Amino acid sequence: MKAIIFICSLLLASNSMSRPISYVGGHTLMANSGAQTDNIYWHYTPNINYSLGLDYQRDKISGEAFPSARLTYLINRKNTATSQRNLYLKTGIGLDNSTNHFYALAGDWETRRLFAGFSAKQVSGMGYELFEQSVKLGIAPYLGAYGDLHTWLMIESKKDNLDDRRITYPVLRFFKGGALIEVGYHKKTDWDVHLMYRF
Amino acid sequence: MKKFLLAALLLAATASQAAHHEMGHMHSHEGHVHDTMVDGQKLSVDAERFDNFVSAVPGDQIVVISVQGMVCDFCARGIEKTFGKDSSVTKIDVDLASGKVLLAYSPDTEIDRASIEKNILNNGLNTTAIQVVEK
Repeated sequence: MKAIIFICSLLLASNSMSRPISYVGGHTLMANSGAQTDNIYWHYTPNINYSLGLDYQRDKISGEAFPSARLTYLINRKNTATSQRNLYLKTGIGLDNSTNHFYALAGDWETRRLFAGFSAKQVSGMGYELFEQSVKLGIAPYLGAYGDLHTWLMIESKKDNLDDRRITYPVLRFFKGGALIEVGYHKKTDWDVHLMYRF
Repeated sequence: MKKFLLAALLLAATASQAAHHEMGHMHSHEGHVHDTMVDGQKLSVDAERFDNFVSAVPGDQIVVISVQGMVCDFCARGIEKTFGKDSSVTKIDVDLASGKVLLAYSPDTEIDRASIEKNILNNGLNTTAIQVVEK
């Protein structure tokens, strides 16, 4: 049971994460609330190629807590005048039980108008193995200037080997300044709210 | 006659707007034309935005950085943070639409292009040009 909770919380936390590496010297604080778990995640970017973080997750039903350490490594980035493309390797390991861990390959491509991202993740812990794939597409209904409130209309679709059924649901993303809020809803997983602040 | 007057008014208004637009590109400020850089390159920034920026920091040196990958406001936040730590930088402006960053430096500052480029890179972006406005 503990392992399932841990696996679910890892999935929830990292699915909603956007831009897992900040500017050099930058800190990012995130809070996520879903049907199963709440979590707080902080990461620091010492170098433009990677970020280090700590995650603390609490299961809403059992009340159990799962702290973990995380590393995100930028494999490749391509900047053009109108777009940015990133490829990341993400890993995490349980602080109280090192057999709990995950690794993922994630990528995104973004212009001021369009967004496309994907993630493929393997989660392991206490004998359980889980593989999840997800894609996310988004469009900005208007192009805001620097400092404006920015809005993204997105759709996310994911599938894992435990459920073996694809779920697709709408996501709304808003950000202004260093603050971001993302809200997704699916009848199966209920509301998923993600807050992020970069400083 | 009414139609003729209306057409003339519309033409006059259009011509006026076009002239204003042209002025915007060639507007001079304190005797300097803004579209010429010290390196002889042409400046391609929003003229009105540039004038507003310059008028707020009279006497300062202006640097225009052309940046690749600056597509997201949230991700460009670090530019303000990074350059804001430099005490010689007096004003910062980020223009997502043109992919330009405007920096104002105090008049006696020696512009360090390598440092600027490194700061941009530390935000995950690439510099394609650094232009210093003719004083």
